[in-house]
Amino acid sequence: MWSALIADARLYSRLRWPSGNSALRRVLIWFRSSGLLVLALQRVSYGYLQQRAQRGWTIGTILLRVLIGLTRRPMMILTKCDVDDSIQIGPGVYLSDRGFLILGPLRIGSGTLIHERVTIGVRAGDPGKPVIGEKVWIGPDCVIYGNLSVGDGATVLPGAVVSMSVPARAVAAGNPATIVRREFDNTGLRSSLARDIDPQSLAPR
Amino acid sequence: MRRVVATMWNQMGLQAVLVYRFGQLLRSSRRRILLWPLLPFGWLIYGLAVLWVRRAYGIRIALSAEIGAGFWVGHFGGVEVINCRLGERCSVGQQTKVGRTGDGAGPQVGDGAWIGAHSRITGPVRVGNGVTIAPGARVSRDVPDRALVVGDPGRVVFRGYDNSQILPRA
Repeated sequence: MWSALIADARLYSRLRWPSGNSALRRVLIWFRSSGLLVLALQRVSYGYLQQRAQRGWTIGTILLRVLIGLTRRPMMILTKCDVDDSIQIGPGVYLSDRGFLILGPLRIGSGTLIHERVTIGVRAGDPGKPVIGEKVWIGPDCVIYGNLSVGDGATVLPGAVVSMSVPARAVAAGNPATIVRREFDNTGLRSSLARDIDPQSLAPR
Repeated sequence: MRRVVATMWNQMGLQAVLVYRFGQLLRSSRRRILLWPLLPFGWLIYGLAVLWVRRAYGIRIALSAEIGAGFWVGHFGGVEVINCRLGERCSVGQQTKVGRTGDGAGPQVGDGAWIGAHSRITGPVRVGNGVTIAPGARVSRDVPDRALVVGDPGRVVFRGYDNSQILPRA
């Protein structure tokens, strides 16, 4: 868990200060970023669920339970995020500082960026949860729902409503979403927090 | 009793709906002269509660909306229900905007409508009973009873869709 949190802090400070990334900034980012706090609390909650499944009620799990119970509601109100405890989140993930995230997938791979006002959850009346791969870029105002998988390196453009699987390195856009381009390299998108993407530039050529 | 209190504490949408009902109660008690001394305090409490619900949870249910019994707000954040009419047993998700556009007649939604997350219903449209609006759909035209609406602009992709399985039940 600790190594994952250090990787998160590194990613957040790199995105916020693309020019320079010092050790001081990696400490400072903990006080400047609400998304990082959401992520940290989620990782603690996930670790608590694991511990309790393995060892049952011990002093440690009781203390963790009290800590999580006390911080959950204030954090939800301050950050406007509701991130499920049981998500398996890889190291180095960015959740937007602007909040309004309602997340409930099965897994989120490492290196994924999720922008504000995104909902990821189940289809109503169907328990299958989505799986988000590694190095995925998810733009603001997206909805991803249903028993599906978003492949590694995929890009979901702002405002897309995805209810079917997105293959690896593909670009999904529109409402309902379609695959507008395949074999797109989103490294450039993931290296900054720019969100105003021109969909035309990603259309098939 | 304990479960009722726990639900009120946990469900932000329920708190927002209760504040809205309290506002409607204040509004309807305008004609009862005996209650007049209490009304300023009532409106003060209502104003503070509305401010809390709007700023902390991001749920805005204006008094200009007319909402039937059994209204459900799922999750929280970005919900706006303004100047519209909703039937009984309706359900909305997060980031849903119903009847946002300025003055004039707002949308009229029938009973038992399931309105998914991030969807929008704008303009003077009539939405029938038992309609299901998929997450992210934008509705700006009339929708017949028991239809399933998907996409932007919203299209009716299925008629006779039964949403009783996905509606939250009492």
